[in-house]
Amino acid sequence: MEKVGIVGFNQVKMYSDANYGRYEMIFEAVRGALDKAGLKKKDITTVISCTNDYYDGRTISNLFTVEVGGGYLVDESKCEMDGAHAVLYGLMRILSGNHKLAVIWSGSMPSCYPYHSARLYETDPTWERPLGYVNDITAGGFQMRAYMEKFGVSKEEIARVAVKNRKNATKNPLALAEAQNANLTVEDVLNSEIYSDPVTELMVAQPCDSVAALLLAPERQALKITDNPVWITGVGYSQEAYYLGERDLSISKSMEIAGKTAFNAAGIKDPKNEIDVAELFEAYAHEELILAEALGLADKGKAANLNSEINGDLAINPSGGALGGNPPCATGLIRIIEAAKQLRGEANGYQVKGAKKAIASGQIGMCAQNNILFALEGSD
Amino acid sequence: MGRQVAIVSAGFSEHSSKRSDVNMPELVNEAIINCLKKVPSLGLKDIDAFVTGNMPAFEGANMPELWSTDWMGARNKPLMRVTTGGTTGGSVAIAGYYHVTAGLPGIDTVLAIAYEQQSQGDTSVGLASTAYGEISILNTLGIDYDSLSRILSAGAAIGVAAYQATNYMSKARITEEDLARVVVHNRRNAAKNWWAHLKMPDLTIEEVLDTPYVQYPLRYGMLCPASDGACAMLFTTEEKAKDMCDIPVYVNGVASVANESAVLGYDGSGSAQTDPSAQIGAMRSSELAYSQAGISFPRKEIDYAEVYAPFPNQELMWLEKLGLFEETTAPEMYKNGTTALDGDLPVNCSGGVNSTNAIGASAMERPAVAALQIMGKADNQVPKTVHTSIGHGWGGSLNLCTLMVMSDEQKRKWR
Amino acid sequence: MTEKVIVSNKGLVRADFNFWVGKYMDKFYDGLEQKKIVGNKCSKCGDVFCPPRSVCGKCNENLPLDQNWVDLPESGTLQNYTITPYKVTDRRTRKVKDPQLIAMVQIDGSNTAIVNRLLNITPDEIKIGMKVKVDWSEKTTGAPSDINGFVKV
Repeated sequence: MEKVGIVGFNQVKMYSDANYGRYEMIFEAVRGALDKAGLKKKDITTVISCTNDYYDGRTISNLFTVEVGGGYLVDESKCEMDGAHAVLYGLMRILSGNHKLAVIWSGSMPSCYPYHSARLYETDPTWERPLGYVNDITAGGFQMRAYMEKFGVSKEEIARVAVKNRKNATKNPLALAEAQNANLTVEDVLNSEIYSDPVTELMVAQPCDSVAALLLAPERQALKITDNPVWITGVGYSQEAYYLGERDLSISKSMEIAGKTAFNAAGIKDPKNEIDVAELFEAYAHEELILAEALGLADKGKAANLNSEINGDLAINPSGGALGGNPPCATGLIRIIEAAKQLRGEANGYQVKGAKKAIASGQIGMCAQNNILFALEGSD
Repeated sequence: MGRQVAIVSAGFSEHSSKRSDVNMPELVNEAIINCLKKVPSLGLKDIDAFVTGNMPAFEGANMPELWSTDWMGARNKPLMRVTTGGTTGGSVAIAGYYHVTAGLPGIDTVLAIAYEQQSQGDTSVGLASTAYGEISILNTLGIDYDSLSRILSAGAAIGVAAYQATNYMSKARITEEDLARVVVHNRRNAAKNWWAHLKMPDLTIEEVLDTPYVQYPLRYGMLCPASDGACAMLFTTEEKAKDMCDIPVYVNGVASVANESAVLGYDGSGSAQTDPSAQIGAMRSSELAYSQAGISFPRKEIDYAEVYAPFPNQELMWLEKLGLFEETTAPEMYKNGTTALDGDLPVNCSGGVNSTNAIGASAMERPAVAALQIMGKADNQVPKTVHTSIGHGWGGSLNLCTLMVMSDEQKRKWR
Repeated sequence: MTEKVIVSNKGLVRADFNFWVGKYMDKFYDGLEQKKIVGNKCSKCGDVFCPPRSVCGKCNENLPLDQNWVDLPESGTLQNYTITPYKVTDRRTRKVKDPQLIAMVQIDGSNTAIVNRLLNITPDEIKIGMKVKVDWSEKTTGAPSDINGFVKV
């Protein structure tokens, strides 16, 4: 795979109820990314947006975002999944040789709609939806119980992930204020309101308002634009079976395949020792453990024993992860941005020392049905 | 630099106003079976990645490809969803092209699938909701919803198309009879296409003009139907294509340039795009795609065109904006038979969107038919040999446009 | 900062959806109406699907409509469960009076599990692997609601 560089990025601070118009937020993200990289609108050759019609409450949700997203008279398209998938599409467009600067932006404003009810629209309308027992929260409950039962992991071990990520989030100025908590304890997490037993409120990544943007360029152009581009060295993505009743929810088959593909492309043989920092999209605390195991960062059922603090053996989600704020559609893109920050040494306050190689993931679907993983490398 | 991409097959489901015998994944499955049937050496197991899309809000199912995983054969395989409104099918096809040309490890053969089952939901409500946020803001200024829906419409529906039609008609100085002639052309062609929806082999101009107005100048008989249907296309590399079919169709240029939204504008602020028939986005798309394909004289070099035109005035307009005819001369070309099956530049021999419109699939059916015409396998095959063809898509608020240029020759090497 | 304006347009636009279930699910619902559970079987891998479907995702095989139908019992095994105090379908996530016990049950003789409620049971009594059976609604109409839920055997 030819080298493609991340040459700029920008993220709007996450709010649970932002005092923004939809278009202002998109413009701030995209224009900010261009300004930081010293680029102009006319330099853009392609724009990939990522929004969801159901989350935005409008058909063709990219219709009016053409101008603010930098897409006016530009070859543009929309990927309706996670922002990380949109980055993949941008990457493909750069690799094709047709384009020299790709803008990828994604985000949503869940303060305008009930996110968890909207997720019901992903269920099979001929069978599961009329019954109304499955949405992302109850699916998360099934997933956590399956993981606990299969590997004998305790609630406390999973709650510890929530504590770690919410503490990390306090150091990230762009994280959601409601998610930041430096004094959180495992008991607080377990005693918070039950969403879907055994999942409690503080184990759930809270949907919030934000938009993020990222710029990609081929190697030659990337080196002209910035001194320290972050290189995409590998990517893998996969989708597993749909019905919860025929999946083994205690593992993530799709992430296993995605990880294998990405590590092969990046020439990573021993992910556990070679990778310095991982930014994983964990919609629930337990998903961080399941995804880490699927990627071979820990043995099956043993991820809770991993020291994944910022200064630990392998830092996972030093930015706070999705638990530090989960703007639908943007979360995966923000993971890539946070990994890039680490590799550029720009993660003030939560910098992992000497980070050289990083991974970042995105997901969509119930219990992370479709996963995508990026392998990134900093410039020397 | 990207790899050369080839189309080796395209398939369709049966289209009709109500495919109540199948659910959404089963409909998708039908098109895939039809597509793979044409490549006996290939099975679903040989597909490396999937691209898919539809208009989600029309059917009330969010990201239905999660549900359709098994029916597409995508279990434990890479899958991407691309949706851009009316251009969804075209955008999915373009994404299929980019999947192959990018050369990511292990991704050589890609199945692109676009579909719509409109009979399950309310398309008009779906279209109105494109601008619901914008209309809400105008509501706060004291304009009530009823008046708003009368004076403007934002989605790819008849409201905006009527403005476009009157603009074009005054520029080209044509009458409703010229519009009706296009409809007759399409519906008669559709009669020879097994998967088309509205098949009318004996339709006449008088019959079209005899139907009532829906919104001047568009009459009921000129409008596209709402269909259920699916389309699938198979993309692969140059090397693999040679083993899969006799005449691989090379994708030499793709573009999807967006203009600003017409009429309404974001936040209901109005738009500078005052003439919806000007279509600079489409013109820029064609410049981009033709230059990629090395086409300098589109009028001479392109042998066949499939354009996305739910309404007849649009078919005339697109042919001019995409550089196939001089401005305002398209109506004359329908009169003198240039666009007929045996003419110099046959257009929409599948019957076009005017006869079959499963919205999400429509913009993919255009390049699919254009590719089959080059292979010589189309259902209403033109008698002459087609070397170069185009497939076009349109959507959004008259502002999104997709274009794919295909040929039996590889992209010129000078790029 | 300006005051935020909240624009509400409740009830002006309403979209109705009718989902075609397809011939396979149609057969399943016909079965439910007679208080019977039917599934179908992949002739290649032998997996039995409940509810039935036209494709086996594992083998990428189409399952013919006229073959391999299997009558299944109304008993099954509890595979997984969760308890939620929220109403999943509600437009706003509103609380329900009694927490709902939602279970994943593998009908005996099938290879997939279905999601439905657990009835007449307290959370302490639930054990993964326990035997449960279908609780039919009094009047069946050939709809998903024909299954009230599952009860302990």
